[in-house]
Order: sequence, then C-alpha cells, then structure tokens
Amino acid sequence: MGGLTRKHHRLAAALGPYVALAPVLGLLSVFLYLPLIFDVIYSTHEWSSLSPTWRYVGLGNFQGLLADPLFWQSLRGNILYAAVSLVFQVAFALMLAAILESGLLRIRWSGFFRIAFFLPSIMPITVIGLLWQILYQPDVGLIDQALKAVGLGAYAHAWLGEEATVLPAIIAVSQWQWTGYLTVLFIVAIRGIPRELYEAAEIDGARAWRKFWHITVPGVSETTVLMTLITIFGAIKVFDIVWVMTAGGPNNASDVLGSYMYRSAFRDDRVGYASAIAVVMFVLCSIVGGLQLRWSQRRSL
Amino acid sequence: MKRRRFTATALAAAGTSLAANALGTRSAAAQNKVVLSFLHKWPEPNNIRFFRQAVAAFEAAHPNVKINMDAVADDPYKTKIRVVMASGQIPDIYFTWVGEYTRQFIRAGRVLDITKYLAAPDWHGRFAPATLDAYRTDGKLYGVPIEVDAKFMVCNKALLAKVGVTALPADWPAFTAALNKLKAASITPIAFGSQLAWATVHYIGDLNAKLVPPDVRKADYTLRAPVAELFTDPGYVDAMAHYRAFLTNGWFNKTPNALTHAAARASFYAGRAAMMYQELVEFGLAAGTKLAADGWDFFPMPAIPGGRGRQDLLTGAPDGFVVSPTCKHPDVAMAFLNFLTTRSQGEAFTAATHRPSAVIGAVTAKDALPQTLRGIEAIGRAKGMVLWLDTDVEARVASAFLAAGQGLMGSHETPEQAMQKVRAAAVAAQKARG
Repeated sequence: MGGLTRKHHRLAAALGPYVALAPVLGLLSVFLYLPLIFDVIYSTHEWSSLSPTWRYVGLGNFQGLLADPLFWQSLRGNILYAAVSLVFQVAFALMLAAILESGLLRIRWSGFFRIAFFLPSIMPITVIGLLWQILYQPDVGLIDQALKAVGLGAYAHAWLGEEATVLPAIIAVSQWQWTGYLTVLFIVAIRGIPRELYEAAEIDGARAWRKFWHITVPGVSETTVLMTLITIFGAIKVFDIVWVMTAGGPNNASDVLGSYMYRSAFRDDRVGYASAIAVVMFVLCSIVGGLQLRWSQRRSL
Repeated sequence: MKRRRFTATALAAAGTSLAANALGTRSAAAQNKVVLSFLHKWPEPNNIRFFRQAVAAFEAAHPNVKINMDAVADDPYKTKIRVVMASGQIPDIYFTWVGEYTRQFIRAGRVLDITKYLAAPDWHGRFAPATLDAYRTDGKLYGVPIEVDAKFMVCNKALLAKVGVTALPADWPAFTAALNKLKAASITPIAFGSQLAWATVHYIGDLNAKLVPPDVRKADYTLRAPVAELFTDPGYVDAMAHYRAFLTNGWFNKTPNALTHAAARASFYAGRAAMMYQELVEFGLAAGTKLAADGWDFFPMPAIPGGRGRQDLLTGAPDGFVVSPTCKHPDVAMAFLNFLTTRSQGEAFTAATHRPSAVIGAVTAKDALPQTLRGIEAIGRAKGMVLWLDTDVEARVASAFLAAGQGLMGSHETPEQAMQKVRAAAVAAQKARG
C-alpha cells in the first residue's frame, strides 16, 4: 500500500462519501435549492421579463391570488385531478393487481393483461396527447363513434371542446396512462405477502373478497401510502398533459395550477405572480411530503 | 457552515459560465470579427433554408462578419423571447410581433430607433406604406418587415354557385344573406377551429375595428384611456355579439372549440364548408386540394353598415425584425436587414417559403398563385391594417380576449360577461403599468 499511512486511509475513508456526494449536492444546489430560494424572492416582487426594475410588493401577489377566480378554478382542477387519481390509480389499481395475482385468471392471460395495462405508461406524453385529441374528436373520433354504436349517441360530446367535459376528459387520459403502471407496482407488493396467509385463509374457507380485504390490503399498506402520496404529488404538479392537449382551454376550463403558472409567466409576462403560484404549489407539495415523512418515521419506530 | 458551502458551489458554477463567456468574446475579438446574434421564429425546413442561404451569402460578401442564427417555432418563440429578455442576453437582431407586443419592448428600451437607416428612399420605398406603418411608434420606425400577411374570407366558388351566390359579398347584409342561403342548403357556411385560441381573436379584432370608434380603440388598446372608460365602449360587446352570432346562427361548423384551425382548414379544403377566414400566408396550401378543383376566391371581412369604427381597414400584419440597442455593430446589423429585403432576397424568400415577401414586386406569378398576388395588391391598397388583436393589446388583456374567444363558442358565456373579464384584465394591467 506504498506510502499511504493509516492516517491517510482514515482520512480518505472519512471524506470519501462526502467527495462522492459533492457533485450531486452541487447540482442540486444550483438547479433545485437556489431556484427555490429565488422563487420565493421573485414571488414578493412585481416584475416582468422586460422590466428594468423590480417592485417589491410583499405578499401582494399572494393577496392577488386569493382574489383571483382563475387561481381558485385552477386549484379546483388540481383537487379534482387528485381525487379521481386516488380512486383509479390507487384503489382501482390495487383491485386490478389483486385480481391478476389471485390465480383466478390463467397465467397466460394474467401476463397479457399486465403488459396491456403497463404499456400506456411508457408512451411519451406528447404522443398520448395527440392520440387522445384524435380519439376525442367530435363525430369522427373513436369515443363518440363507440358511444353511437352502442346506442349511447346522446352522450356523445365534443369532449375537449366543451367547458364542462374538458377537464374530466384530460383526467381520464391520465388514469388510462398510469393505472396500469401502479397496478404493476402493487403486483410486486402483493408478491411480498407470505403465501401461507392466503393458504391459511383458504383452509378457513375465506372467499376472495375477504382475502383481499383482510390480507392483501393490510399487506400492501406501505405501498398504498407511498402510491397515494406520489399520486397527490403528481396531481399538484400536473402540467404536461394539460398543456399538450388544450393549453388550459377552452376559456381556461381545463386550467390547473401548472398551466396557469406557465401562462402567467410566459404569456402574460407576470413573473412575480407566476412565482407566487409556484410557491403555493411548493407549499402544497411540502405538506404532502411532510405527511409522508411523518408516516415513514412512525413506521421505523 | 453548510450554507457557505452552498454559496461557494453556486459561485463556482457561475464563475465557470462567466469565464466561458469571456473566452468566447475574446476569441472572436482576436480574429477581429464582427459577430451578430440573430433570433427568429422560422425553423421549418423550407423557411430556415432561405435564412441559411441569406446568412451565408451575406457572410460571403462580408468576410469579417459572423452571424449566429437561432430559430424556434412560433409558439415556443413567445416563451424563448421572454427568457432571453429576462436573462439580459438580448440578440442583436430578433423577431417581434408588431403592435403592443413590439411597443412593450420599445418602452423597455430593448429596440433601436432605426428611422435614419430606413430614411434612404431606395430602402423604405421597397415596402407598402401600410406595411411599414405597422412598425411606426410615435413617429419613429423600429422594424424592418420581411413578409406581409392579411386575413381574408376565402370562399369555395362551386359551393357558392350551388346556392346562387355569384358575386362576392360587398357588405355585411350580403355576407349574412349568403351564409343563410348556404345553411338552408345544408352546406356548412364557414369552417372554424378555435381549439387554439389565436384563431378567435382574428374575428374579434376585425369586428372591434369595425364597431368601435378608432380613437377609442387606440386609447383602450394602449391602456391610455381613463380607468373609468377603459374598454367600456358598447362597440366591444357588439363585436363579441357579432362573433357569437356566427355560432348561434349556425354559420360556423358545430363545436369550433374541439377543432384546431388546421383541422378546420382540412375540412374546408375537402369541400365540406363554403368559406374560411384565412391568412394570406396560407393561400399556397390550397394547391392540389378539392377546393382548388372547385375554384376559389376571397374577399375582406365585409363592411358593417352603421358600424362606428373603420370599415376600410384590413386585418393583418407584417412580420419582421428589430435591432437591439445593445448591438455593438448596428450599421452591420442594418446592412444585413437591408440585404434580407433586397428584391432578389425577397424573391428567394417567396420562392423558398411560399410566403408573401414584404418587398414590393418580389412576389411574381412564377412563385405565387394569382390569388396571392391579388391579396398582396389588396394590402398595398389598404388604408391601414388592424393588427392581430393578441399582439396589439397588453399581454394579460390579450389572454382575456383569447379566453373570451373560446368562451363565446361555448354554451353559456355572454358577450357582456366576456367583456367584463377583458375590462378587469385591462384595469389591472393599467394599474400595474402605473
């Protein structure tokens, strides 16, 4: 080991992890923590990309948000997004996973469904957006055609063109995209449950529903909580699918906080105001993140 | 301690980028080169091919000049230019939309007054007066147009003939009579797609100009009207009512909000609608379609008798370039823009892009349809232009108009409600401007 003394070794061992972490820390600082601090500073100013000076407005932008009907409308969009996603991407995905793993299906079919459900999650968001724009077309789109074919023509809509249907239509696309992905994650969790529990239940004559409720659900609780939080995070941050499909239209009916923030910054040129929306999104995410942290600490105790 | 380390990392990163910048400048200076940055919104293959050859030709004629060109498409350009402006790294030559959009850059001191350069008769004489006027603010010239564009109602002659309309509608009553005849014959009178909201404000902007007194409109658009009067003229509500009537009277196709402009155009070209409000730059796209086989003509949005605005204006605007006051070599930048708008480069522009050059005489029957040539003549004759509404008002007022344009194509929003939102946005914008 040549000229290296034991002291050197100790020093290298002590510093090693820090040296290894430094680049990550540096990148995170520059691209995450600094912008975060800047965002809070920006949110207390009124300024635009062209303004020579910044005007300090304190909490003025936040007061503006409270009085802004578009802000509340956008927030309602996120809440609806979260609520629907919890039902489909968490509850429904868990049920799907339980069915696929229950042995009720032949192995070949179970594999087919797993792949079929998973596939949408690996498609790029712009492709999905364009695909569904076509499917949602009034009259000629597949959705309306299908409704007419089964005698439900009265329920045909210009899905993305009507203010009442546009947000539910976009949210539905997200469920289509992500439910399969979460199903696969739940399958992994279910496989972690000891088989003996199911066998014991079968000996006791438990039916499928009771096994699901009393063994599967408690057995995957850790995954369920994690998926719940990830889904809520996603619902708060959602932007891409909305922007690709409608850019928040028509008449702002499909706006969520992300799209409203983007438009405020890059179309209306109100960077301070947009920063305030970003701060609100950050606070909402922090609350959810805090809950997650508390929950995982409680688990480890 | 931790915080200090964060700061050090950030400073190191910032330092690296500064050093890189300094090096770049130094190496350029070492070669004694004049380097110009040039940002525009024509990255599409046909379009960028023209600009690449123009830059290469100019560089070949001026060996000491290097032009760094960058282009992003129309919609992302709106984001990019904001980011570039906020970063302070203003391109020497860049694209802006005329109207309030350019005026905000002028107010912020980001646009060079180029009146003296364009004063040369052999330069300003290349453009139609209405084209150049779009770049005039407070008597000074700020931009060089490269292409002209205007909006016309394009019509399928075969479908019009089917319902006995042989003359182009000269005024609003004749126009609506034709629309009603088409509707009665179960022909969709006008193809319209408003899923992308910009298409809506081309109607509203034109109708505003026809129904609102010009001085009132100007005071409102520039936010110079007293706050109590801002956007209160009844002409605005009337304009929105006229626009909504296209939907409620069945003159538009069903659910325009679910169709993009391109989708509506495809249906118009396939002969499934009799008319469409189109831009001159789109005329070339009709080649080879059923519409071309049916025969087509065009007319400006007809005059509204009794309208309190101007009936003799054409909706449309030139596109072109401005120069940054931070440009170290404005003479070279202007020489490049002069070169871009020579007759031969104007011809090359139209030949490559199929878009109408702003240079008079550069569009010939060789490269353009007869309709395009007549469209350009109409721009030359126009008493003035009604600029695109979404670039002629302050950004958040534009957002309100864009939302209204879609809202009025839905089921419940009224013209009064839509105008209230526009007015609220204008009042807030005026307050912010102080």
